[in-house]
Amino acid sequence: MIFDRPSSIELLKAVNHFLDDKIKSEVPAHLAFKLRIVENVLNIVIREIELGQELSEDVTKDLKELIELDAANIDDLASLIKAEKINIEDESLKNLLVKLSKNKIAVDNPNYSTFKKLVE
Amino acid sequence: MTEDLGNILKEKLANTSIEGEIVNLEPLTGGASKEIWKFEVNANGKSDRYILRRGSGVEGPLAIKTSDEAKIQKTVRKLGAQVPEIVAVSSLDEELGDAYIMKFVHGESIARKILRDEEYKNTLPKLAFECGQSIAKIHQADINEFPFLPSKTVFEQINDLYQTYVSFNQPSPVFEYTHLWLKKQNFGEINDALVHGDFRLGNIIVGKDGLKSVIDWELAHIGNPLQDLGWICGNSWRFGNTNKVVGGFGDLADLLKGYNSVSNYHVDENMVKAWQVFGTFRWGVICLIQASAHLTGSINSVEKAAIGRRVSETEIDIVDLLFLGGK
Repeated sequence: MIFDRPSSIELLKAVNHFLDDKIKSEVPAHLAFKLRIVENVLNIVIREIELGQELSEDVTKDLKELIELDAANIDDLASLIKAEKINIEDESLKNLLVKLSKNKIAVDNPNYSTFKKLVE
Repeated sequence: MTEDLGNILKEKLANTSIEGEIVNLEPLTGGASKEIWKFEVNANGKSDRYILRRGSGVEGPLAIKTSDEAKIQKTVRKLGAQVPEIVAVSSLDEELGDAYIMKFVHGESIARKILRDEEYKNTLPKLAFECGQSIAKIHQADINEFPFLPSKTVFEQINDLYQTYVSFNQPSPVFEYTHLWLKKQNFGEINDALVHGDFRLGNIIVGKDGLKSVIDWELAHIGNPLQDLGWICGNSWRFGNTNKVVGGFGDLADLLKGYNSVSNYHVDENMVKAWQVFGTFRWGVICLIQASAHLTGSINSVEKAAIGRRVSETEIDIVDLLFLGGK
């Protein structure tokens, strides 16, 4: 990357800090609720930049093993399940669906109860 | 804008002989799809509190008209179900738009407050039983009273949800798997009933002494009533209290005890799981619908954009229920 610091993550964190520190106390209740959503959105983006590539590759590696196709992606897996061209009782398919779901929620909402329960 | 709305409300209420000065008109944090306002009417030194619920006139694929919600509430209220008293209904062609005005009900609807505040500590242990009773009362309504409501079998609903998901062109292996699984389930042979469609914390008003009122009827329809029991048991509506299966506050046995104490049809615990998976899939598709309103540019809303990233919550809940022994 040719860009100077702050990095994209550092910039987003600065924005989040500003919203939390200076704006939250200034807005009425119905906007404070929306502000919390805005902060959550920024946190999703931060986590996706930080972890997204690794979490995606982790799934893709298993996916390629499962469907033995080098260019396989998530859309292909969805199509195979839809057409029942893959054994839906297969344990490695179930394991992959679990990993896919865990890796997505790890970015979208790592505080989500089911994720916390499953990683504990 | 608030001043205009105040005048419109004043005029509308005058037709129902509620006259007075409209004060303290304020927007409330409501659902993502409707405007909710609270206000007071001052007359003769007395002040009465009301709530305005107002749709945009453009419903999502699963939602009914706001004015039709009012019709349902009026009907079930006569049967003894706990719903707010409707004082005025407005149709889309009126100035107020597709909306209704109801009497304010004392209590709390915000899930996290009900689950955490000291005030409701004694209410929570009996709330699952009361919800079961309340749901059963709704299911006793005569479906012939609601010719305006859509009527769908569960398999028609599964197909509709699936086609909606497909239309967004965002393939999900978990949803494809869920769709195959759901098509093979037995959802129970039971007569069609009025289904609330979104009975959970957030859409009920709870007081210190128990359940006060059932609100937010926009997903009401005619169909298999067990849907309401599975829905409130979805992890999406436990607000973090994942070990309390019913709404984050209660146990399934208590919900069903309450339900079976009113209903003529006896529901067993093992009938609920397929409906839990169905409900979780349904909420996932609703998240897709909400996000698409933003993505297609019909509404620019960070709230709706954010909800697109909640689809993954439903995916992890489904794999937990199907493969990992989740309850």
